[in-house]
Amino acid sequence: MSAAPLPTLAEAGRQIAAGDLSPVALTEAALARAAALQPKLDAFIEITAERARAAAHRAEKEIAGGRRRGKLHGIPYGLKDIYDAAGLRTTAHSRLLLDNIATVDAETTARLEAAGMILIGKLATHEFATGGPAFDLPFPPARNPWNTAHFTGGSSSGSGAAVAAGIVSLAMGSDTGGSIRLPAAYCGTVGLKPTYGRVSRRGVAPLCYSLDTTGPLTWTVEDAALSLQVLAGYDPRDPGSADVPVPDYTAALRDGIKGVRVGYCRAFSADGEVGAEQSAALDQAAQTLAKLGSEVSEVALPPNTQFQACARTISHSESFAIHHKDLQERPELYARVTRERLTLGAFISARQYVQAQRLRRILTRKVDALFETCDVLLTAVIPGPAPVLEETDDGPWRKQQPLASVFNVTGHPCMAQPCGFAVDGLPLSAQFVGRHFDEATLLRVGHAYEQEADWIRKRPALATL
Amino acid sequence: MADDRDSDFAAALRRNGLTIPQERREIMRDAVEKMLGLLKVLDDPLAYEDEPAALPRYDLEAKPHGVKS
Repeated sequence: MSAAPLPTLAEAGRQIAAGDLSPVALTEAALARAAALQPKLDAFIEITAERARAAAHRAEKEIAGGRRRGKLHGIPYGLKDIYDAAGLRTTAHSRLLLDNIATVDAETTARLEAAGMILIGKLATHEFATGGPAFDLPFPPARNPWNTAHFTGGSSSGSGAAVAAGIVSLAMGSDTGGSIRLPAAYCGTVGLKPTYGRVSRRGVAPLCYSLDTTGPLTWTVEDAALSLQVLAGYDPRDPGSADVPVPDYTAALRDGIKGVRVGYCRAFSADGEVGAEQSAALDQAAQTLAKLGSEVSEVALPPNTQFQACARTISHSESFAIHHKDLQERPELYARVTRERLTLGAFISARQYVQAQRLRRILTRKVDALFETCDVLLTAVIPGPAPVLEETDDGPWRKQQPLASVFNVTGHPCMAQPCGFAVDGLPLSAQFVGRHFDEATLLRVGHAYEQEADWIRKRPALATL
Repeated sequence: MADDRDSDFAAALRRNGLTIPQERREIMRDAVEKMLGLLKVLDDPLAYEDEPAALPRYDLEAKPHGVKS
């Protein structure tokens, strides 16, 4: 196995362009790391080695022939196993879909493939992006590379583990209530949930139509920008897709943040019962942003209970509608925790669902109002470092108050990225939030903070063996 | 009161054609009560003009996944 984690997308792209790195060698390194770390991390449901090798040889030939498709050509990536890739199984980590072979790529998969990227495997998830971690499924839950006894976060659990372990520098996740940002936060990576409608969901197993968002997990903010450049764009065959122009996400990445107005949602940490270490790390992040020349002020979000009532009502109702027939006819095939969480939707009334959608609009307007005086928001996304895996909530109702679903309710783009480490050595995370479709400013602030704070230099020990 | 909760819980399961293993019924019923407690905020009155966020869009180009254009 290669001694070092895979290079970032940006660095690999530069080396490939200069002729200093071979896509075949890079893919072999990724496959070797995937195979070597799989017994410890269980990050993958399937490693697609032969397909990856064939794609790497094609990429190498194209690039050598002067037909380089772009900055990501010849670089490996992974897909959460709810994304379709033609010819491969999409299991959603479930017994119900063990024989489900995709015939067409998801729109996102198709965009990454068209950019010349090389799929090395399908990654572990919580069952149907909701039920987990669970130990009564055909595949084990992924493990956190910082400490394999700890939770990766979910539901894009394998994506967080694979990026943190340096197996791939891009893994796709999906985010209905935090499922990109939570594994990013607990595994110490960057996780970008774009604006609802910015990236297609077509060909991705749904959990909740009106909250589901697809997006990348990467090691750096620059890599998130490079990924979004390929992924973003209107898809007329996704009913939730928005026909909004796609800007150049890297053009202003290095412009600095002097004069950028940052609204620090400090009181949200107390409202969300965030622990002392995580709160202190956010305070420190706010100070770093101020040092870089941004204007930091404290702003207040509406009460978290309102967001949670919205998110839970909408999510449980829609996921129950999707899974009702299987819950009736073959409930024993689900993991216990999945079955129970999905069943909660049976107890929500039509009145409550409509009220939640009405409150959702009100809350979105209130958050939009904050952007009249701010360019980005800074908030908590996790209450503290990753809990021990076996002690993670596995009941139908989660004991811990969720923080991340606030911006699924409002649809705003947001990004989790490292902001320090707890005394137990596990990552802490900050969340930046932008105006609808203004991922560019979000990425610019995140990049400036990342470069100044420099947390990305520290990798899990397991990844540097 | 406890009897009402039991019968409401059982009725919702029956109406939806669902079953819960006996050993998990108490845990599920407790989870449902906690969820419905959180959802009480949805009982607050809203103005007529507060319309739902999810309103129809007319996707004339939409085709099912897997259908090639």
